[in-house]
Amino acid sequence: MTTCDDVLATLLLGRPLDAAAEAHVRACDRCAAEAPVVGRVAGALATFAPPPPGPGLGAAVLRAARPVLRQARRARWAAVARALAASLVPLPLIVLLDAAIVRALRSALAVVLPSGLSTYLAFNYAALLALLLAITYAAVPLLVERQARGRWMESHG
Amino acid sequence: MVTDEALMRAVAAGDERALETLCGRWERPLHQFLARYTGGRDVDDLYQETWLRVVRAADRFDPTRRFSTWLFQIAINLTRDWRRRPPPEPVDPMTLDAATAVAPSPDAALDAQRLLAALPEAQRAVVVLRYYHDLGEEQVAEILGCPRGTVKSRLHQALARLTAIAKASR
Repeated sequence: MTTCDDVLATLLLGRPLDAAAEAHVRACDRCAAEAPVVGRVAGALATFAPPPPGPGLGAAVLRAARPVLRQARRARWAAVARALAASLVPLPLIVLLDAAIVRALRSALAVVLPSGLSTYLAFNYAALLALLLAITYAAVPLLVERQARGRWMESHG
Repeated sequence: MVTDEALMRAVAAGDERALETLCGRWERPLHQFLARYTGGRDVDDLYQETWLRVVRAADRFDPTRRFSTWLFQIAINLTRDWRRRPPPEPVDPMTLDAATAVAPSPDAALDAQRLLAALPEAQRAVVVLRYYHDLGEEQVAEILGCPRGTVKSRLHQALARLTAIAKASR
């Protein structure tokens, strides 16, 4: 396409012309002749202001979308519930293992430290393990969503 | 302010408030786009159906993309499907009835609805998105699923057609 087309398109879109384009309009017979016509077209286009949407339109959209949204909520909770159920299966084993580790740690510390201090350290360690476990389970819903999105991206390129 | 993309994630999870916010933000631009692109036919139906498609496809929305691009893409695709009904385009601008939605033009011989109706659909989409919605060539190309050069050439073709009509109506 020629520079004339670019200059005239810029005029049509109502964008300001740079110095080079203005110089081009002055020097080019075609652009000088067409610029006022393009101005008329742009002016006419500017008058097209469609009526605003009716006041009930937004509510109608929400009403129509409600069943779809309800279904999406249900599907999401079902996925989260399935993931939580699956992740709860090994929980008793993890808790037993953690309890055994804490007990062993307390016994080992009690050999070299006073009983109160070893209990305090073992309690702190147990609290840390509990926190990590809570964070892991809290992340399950987020992971479910990411996984669902990842699966969609894989299947849709 | 929550981004449109974050709101779409919430819509995908079934959040009605997120949809309400999103509809509020895009009500006017989408409605105006449809009115200009279709010439005012079935705008409310198309508007409602566009949002329904947005909600149904919400879990397929890629949050790395711009929501506006996706929304206009859906609206354009829907309008194309809608046009399987008797299509009014392109029409002879001289035979079109006076547009009810057009404000009185200082240039009585030209009116915007006639001008837009005279353009083939592909060119009209470019003019509406570039002129009225101030979108860049790149975003329009993404919406229409064509190269950037095609957007440019369609705008030039539209310009040639519109100026020819303007000259003829003098």
